Amino acid sequence: MISHQLALIKREIWEHRSIYVTPAAIAMLVALLTLTGQVSISAFGEAVDMAIVGATNVDEAHRRVALTGLLGVVMSIFAFGAGIVMIFYTLDTLYAERKDKSILFWRSLPVTDAETVISKLLTAAFVIPLAFLAAVIVTHIVILSLASIWIMTKGGNAIHLIWSAAPLFDTWAAGIILAFAIPLWLAPFFGWFLFVSAYTKRSPVLIAFLPIFILPMLERMLIGSHLFYDAIFVRTFKPPLASVEISMLFDDDRPFEMTSDAVSMLAALDLSRFVASPSLWAGLVVCGLLTTAAIYMRRYRDDS
Amino acid sequence: MSSLVSARNVSKSFGDVHAVDHVSFEIEQGRIMGLLGPNGAGKTTLLKAVLGLTDFEGELSVLGLDPFKQRKELMQNICFIADVAVLPRWIRVYQLLDFVEAMHPNFTRSNAEELLAKTKIMSGSKVRELSKGMVTQLHLSIITAIDAKFLILDEPTLGLDIIFRKEFYDNLLNDYFDGERTILITTHQVEEIENLLTDIMFINDGKILLDESMESLSEQYVELMTSGDDADKARGFGPIAERDVFGKKVMLFDSVDRQNLDGLGEIHKPSVADLFVAKVKGAGS
Repeated sequence: MISHQLALIKREIWEHRSIYVTPAAIAMLVALLTLTGQVSISAFGEAVDMAIVGATNVDEAHRRVALTGLLGVVMSIFAFGAGIVMIFYTLDTLYAERKDKSILFWRSLPVTDAETVISKLLTAAFVIPLAFLAAVIVTHIVILSLASIWIMTKGGNAIHLIWSAAPLFDTWAAGIILAFAIPLWLAPFFGWFLFVSAYTKRSPVLIAFLPIFILPMLERMLIGSHLFYDAIFVRTFKPPLASVEISMLFDDDRPFEMTSDAVSMLAALDLSRFVASPSLWAGLVVCGLLTTAAIYMRRYRDDS
Repeated sequence: MSSLVSARNVSKSFGDVHAVDHVSFEIEQGRIMGLLGPNGAGKTTLLKAVLGLTDFEGELSVLGLDPFKQRKELMQNICFIADVAVLPRWIRVYQLLDFVEAMHPNFTRSNAEELLAKTKIMSGSKVRELSKGMVTQLHLSIITAIDAKFLILDEPTLGLDIIFRKEFYDNLLNDYFDGERTILITTHQVEEIENLLTDIMFINDGKILLDESMESLSEQYVELMTSGDDADKARGFGPIAERDVFGKKVMLFDSVDRQNLDGLGEIHKPSVADLFVAKVKGAGS
């Protein structure tokens, strides 16, 4: 039932405050760095000021490139933070309830183990990315506002230099797609971490990560193949989302020719290619199997 | 009366250890059943089987349901307080009420709030900020506000002082028990609940040693305080236990005609604790 799932997810947010505290902390840190960055740039004096205000001489496409880069970098800082929170959340959530014995209370209510574990998977795959995405949007607005104030104090036109050039909605639309797509791509890890969290009696972080590094090594040494390495490391860092090779844009050997399309994060994403990827669906099947195993462990494990 | 719980040859093993060993019993509606056993006797495992928290062998029906396969349906009509403070320590009181209200179809929040208003528990407090007694009060308030047919208590007053223990059982009888509801309770402090119970069951090494109503217990078992030659005569009737008290012999008899014991000493109704010790020692010898 949807109302049950919503209540279960709400409970996860109450318990794991890092879901909203971490993005809020990163947002404040980025805003603070922006503020101090502006102050320190001001300290360099007239020359730098002139260069910044002189951005009026740079055409809008180049300003757009710079601002896309800035917005993208900010988003990637949050993405990194979201990854860390997701890992620790999924590893902790089924382990902590057994450790503090609160599992006995949760299981005394009319909720199935499947409903509970699925609520934890949904929290990891959707709630955490959405919390971080909201923080990204707020942070973008804050840092651009800070930059605007600084430019205006130097006599620049912030509307022209910043707001009309910043591809905010394009970046946010891309952020929404990434916030849904990347967790789906990494779903096998969520399944694995939830299973370890339900299974292990101690050190979930160690138990979760040791096989990830040891299995590919053993496979290479014993059989000489690299299936595990490809499935874990090569696959993880190559989601089939990009429609163009972003790296080529910044290739030193190529002339730096920008079009508004080329600097659009949204245009750089190819959702149909992603959805058509067999690797995505194989990963979701693996996630499903491991989540089922986690449900089974929660149901049958009796060390409370 | 209809059976709320019906167990036939229920067993649960952990490796070579038979935690519950071919146990059969019935609990009827409207009864307060005490389940007594020494540590490691299999009480908690049996309760977990009844609650659907562990799988088992044999036939077990609770409210007409298979507890392990139909745990979600079962939990709509069963409440449970475990022997440890199992309320999550991070949660706030109002969050707990919000959550139970969202998850439990038979929970009436206003009833819980009324009961909590009589305590010092604040709605914004976290469970970790409450004393153990207050946590138990909180848990009991929630349980009492759930319109459930069956309440299972596993050492609910462990670690509480005498005032909280007494208050707990008073509240249990006044606020929860209405003659229709059924309670299954385990405790080591048997003397405190002896007068509440309608039925009693002893378990040791996974086996049931005794399963009787309290009325039949006082008819079946008798305690004799005697000394000297009378003690020798009394031994002829086969006491199941004998102990020394202030230089006298206290003997416990099972199903002995009281007329045979008349004139041999003082006859008493045995306490549940003495009966329990006699049964457990007898089973061990």
